[in-house]
Amino acid sequence: MISGARKGAFSGLRKLVAAAMAQELKAFVVPGPELARAHGLDLAKAGLPLAVTPRHAGVLLIISNLPEGLRDAASVAYAQMPRPRAILALGAGNLAPLPVADVSADLTQEGLLSGLAQLRRAIAAGAFGNDVTDFEAPALEIRVEYTCPMHPEVVSDKPGNCPKCGMVLMPRETDASGGHAGHTPNESEATMSQHNTPEHSKHASAEAAQYTCPMHPEVVSAEPGSCPKCGMFLMPVEGKDADDKHSGHGEHSQHASAEATQYTCPMHPEVVSAEPGSCPKCGMFLVPVDDKDADDKHSGHGNHASAETDDGIEAHFMSMVGITKDLPRSSDGLQMDWLEVPYGPFFPGLPGGLGLQLTLDGDTVSGTGIRNLVGFAAPLVSTPVAAEDFIAQMMKTMPHAPVSYGLLAVCAIENAAGTKAREDTARGRAAALERERIASHLSWLSDFGAQTGFRWLATSAAALQLKVQGADTGQIAALTPAITALLGRLRRAPLMRMRLKGIARLDDSVDAAGPLARAIGLNEDVRSDDQTFSALGFSPALRTGGDALARLQLRCDEIDQSLKLIAAAGIITAPVAEDIGKAKGEGAAALETPRGAAHLRLVLKKGKVISAELDTPSTRHVALIEDMTAQQELGDALVAINSLDLSPWEIGMESRA
Amino acid sequence: MNIAIILGSLALGAYIIAIVESWATYGRLRLAGPALAALALLGRESVLARKPDRLFFETAPVLLLVAGLLAVAVIPLAPDLIITDLSSGALFLNAALAYVLVALIMAGWGANGAYGMIGGWRFLGQFIAYAMLIVMPITAVAMRAESLMTTQIVISQVELWNIFYQPIGFVLFVIAAMGLAYLPPLDLPLAPGDLAGGVEAEYTGVRLGVLRLARMIIILSLAGATVTFYLGGWLGPWLPPWAWSAIKILVVTVAMLMAGHYMPRIREARYLALSWKLGISLALANIFLVGVIALVVPI
Amino acid sequence: MNAEMIFLTFFGGAAVWFGIVVFRTHSMVRSALALLFSQTAIGAMFLVMQAEFLGVLQIMMMATEMSVMAIFMVMFMMDPGGLGAMDMTHQKRLSLWAGGVGLVAALGLTLGVDWGPAALSVPSASAQIEMLGIELLGRSMFIFESAGLTILTAMVAATMVAIAPQDKGGAK
Repeated sequence: MISGARKGAFSGLRKLVAAAMAQELKAFVVPGPELARAHGLDLAKAGLPLAVTPRHAGVLLIISNLPEGLRDAASVAYAQMPRPRAILALGAGNLAPLPVADVSADLTQEGLLSGLAQLRRAIAAGAFGNDVTDFEAPALEIRVEYTCPMHPEVVSDKPGNCPKCGMVLMPRETDASGGHAGHTPNESEATMSQHNTPEHSKHASAEAAQYTCPMHPEVVSAEPGSCPKCGMFLMPVEGKDADDKHSGHGEHSQHASAEATQYTCPMHPEVVSAEPGSCPKCGMFLVPVDDKDADDKHSGHGNHASAETDDGIEAHFMSMVGITKDLPRSSDGLQMDWLEVPYGPFFPGLPGGLGLQLTLDGDTVSGTGIRNLVGFAAPLVSTPVAAEDFIAQMMKTMPHAPVSYGLLAVCAIENAAGTKAREDTARGRAAALERERIASHLSWLSDFGAQTGFRWLATSAAALQLKVQGADTGQIAALTPAITALLGRLRRAPLMRMRLKGIARLDDSVDAAGPLARAIGLNEDVRSDDQTFSALGFSPALRTGGDALARLQLRCDEIDQSLKLIAAAGIITAPVAEDIGKAKGEGAAALETPRGAAHLRLVLKKGKVISAELDTPSTRHVALIEDMTAQQELGDALVAINSLDLSPWEIGMESRA
Repeated sequence: MNIAIILGSLALGAYIIAIVESWATYGRLRLAGPALAALALLGRESVLARKPDRLFFETAPVLLLVAGLLAVAVIPLAPDLIITDLSSGALFLNAALAYVLVALIMAGWGANGAYGMIGGWRFLGQFIAYAMLIVMPITAVAMRAESLMTTQIVISQVELWNIFYQPIGFVLFVIAAMGLAYLPPLDLPLAPGDLAGGVEAEYTGVRLGVLRLARMIIILSLAGATVTFYLGGWLGPWLPPWAWSAIKILVVTVAMLMAGHYMPRIREARYLALSWKLGISLALANIFLVGVIALVVPI
Repeated sequence: MNAEMIFLTFFGGAAVWFGIVVFRTHSMVRSALALLFSQTAIGAMFLVMQAEFLGVLQIMMMATEMSVMAIFMVMFMMDPGGLGAMDMTHQKRLSLWAGGVGLVAALGLTLGVDWGPAALSVPSASAQIEMLGIELLGRSMFIFESAGLTILTAMVAATMVAIAPQDKGGAK
């Protein structure tokens, strides 16, 4: 029986159903299909279609060893899968808090195939059972935390006031780990249940303000919130007798304010009454007029910011104009409830591992919180490691560009040791880097296709990527026509220009590197200074648009260019350092990875690396997300993030702390 | 009897397009695929989201199915092979399919998840884009046939199919129909890359099965409507009428399913702008042209 | 009592019941959709009464109109999901009076007006559509065309007014 079996006797029809399920498996890939491809797994060939949400998946496919944060998020995804459900772990170690994998296998295509076959048998034989165990994701245990509507960074376990602005903290439900882990449609419920609480900030000064319902003036509260009678937002009222009401004796204060109040009709000012009621002329509700207010108005200082008496609007009419007058406004001028929606770390349209929390105003993004769950942490080296181990470690840490970072380490070590690679080795390394660039750009194209629903692109780019990875020069030459044909069709695809033009336009004031900078027209490319590349006839490809379309076109241009460079180099070598013996010294290297220039500084002592400092392009690019997505329509915002081609593994953790 | 035949052929048609759709999506042709998928969905849990609007959540898939089935009721497969030949058939088709919108809003809202909710309301925006472009080309078709009866509309094309008589209307109608059936590149309410399945994101098990079946039927009914309005319905030489209807409907369905394969999803705002600024102008021009031709040329 | 009367009573009852649900529920979306189904039931009543075109039109138009209303409710109302157990009734005294007066007026009209002899046969559905078309594009053409144009103008004007002025080049 599989661990995620569904309760029920395993007999008759259920055996048939289980057999069907074993054939109709859909996988939800953790952390994401792009990592599976980077490890050379061809899921399409293995007959394992991808599900876009855990709700539609039958198997949770875990790729490689996951850090703890991702395992928590994965446990949420697993909890969302309908039973019968199973876990297939490829090359993964500890899975806790997830249950033990039903099938574990190596992180290779053969491992995938044999593991999948084994899993299909297990499901056909044990999809249902009588003694099923329940799985509760620890990250989904709900607790209540308190946060300031103005300063979302203020989060407290206890109710109280915001230390920054003194406003009352609002309760919200959150998961036990304190963050919003996981791709969890469910979690939005926490926000949905707050529809009746004012998530928007109240600019009214909290200490002097009291709140009342625009419909039910008898409801008076010292705190913002919603009316118990109708659920409307309570409106701030700046009352002179605010102190009275703060004492909480609602009955008394109501009485006190009634004494001083007269009522008049908004349409017929000549109608004045001592009691609330409706106008004898038009039947409208009478509006309370405070004596003091009235005096003020006569003297001409009638500029009270009272939301209750908008000109020409019946006071107790449910006027959103009045109610939302002081609230922050989004770009379209429409005032709507804000939703906080988790995107990632396993969201199908975003790089796996990158967790985003989008604040949505309608379907416009009004804020983005970033929580990267992978990424490398400084210091890279805590105890001295041998040079070749350091190179291997770099390649392992950066699964999306292992060759680039391996080469970077090689170059830095050689620089520190004072050796220099032979000319043909350097050419081979350059070709290896370009091969990885092609694979990386193809992988990005596939992700882009998956995100925008361009399915032909998603499948064909992924298939080509898998072939390019690890290909030798001859194989690359054989693949060149297919790649060129793909790029040609892509450039001619209908709707593409309309989809991307003008989205996430960057100008030269931003801190961008690599393809992002070159798509603005900036000649930023480490390869320009490299003799090997000059000898191969390299000059950087440039585009000028600076928007998502220019980035797509630039990446296509670069694939073309890299194909030519590999053909010119004629040899591909793996990133292996020359023997450096017991060399010591300081070294630095810069290398144009597929995502931009990465810089590495390291110190060698007795042939061992004792300290290293790495600067990656993704670390710089992740900071662009917030401005890029602000006030964008949801689909456009996601395309914008996708166009950055971030690799969450290449983001330095300290920069997000 | 007619009802049984049409429902039977509907089931067969849904099965065939399910094969084609999975082939288009995953690149593998599996004849037993849809049957296995249906069985697998039957066996999975029907998860209920936390704090759902349960009434909406449960009703929506059924309402979607009913809307699709009612739309099929006025599609003629042969001169006598129609469930009900209403005298306002072309309008009735619209009325039935208007409830696709209601069902999707209910499905999105009922699940109590942000992805679904945004998906549901997005479809309302999408409706604003496609609605006029469904109705206005039908107006021109009805003008030529001088009737709203679907059988009359087919008979009016004996001399010349409407695809040649009013090509602008045909193009507009097919695009709008793809919007109504939320097929890629107009699959904004599902948008796997933006909304992780959107209105379907919270559905599992049997309910998901019903949602998907209903969508198949809606696609078939719209393909049937395209064939009836523009491709001469059952008309054709040599083969019996029902065979012509079946062939044409399947060809239109496959074309509609495959088109989205080769382009990215459209931007919501662009879709609305294009539909209103370009689409409605063209639809009005189409009505005018058809009116002039109908007055001048006697075909 | 024939089958038609049974159906008519059933749909009439459904229309009234959904009408009550509009005010009994706490959720704005449910309220809007209850109104939709109330109107759909009225459309079904038209169909039972052999006014096919009117019935189909009613069923079609209401689906979209009420859905659009629902999104405006969600956009502009607090607590559209009804989680705060919001009360849908407002200005009770006035509403009661208005409702009462409306009921009396409707009953008065129904009972007081001379409806003439009951029609024993109804023209066929296609004949009805033809007659409706001739009416719309004949005697009543001017009224309907000018009304249509007015509504279109109002729609365009409302959209123009609703577009918030964009502060171009201003401080961010």
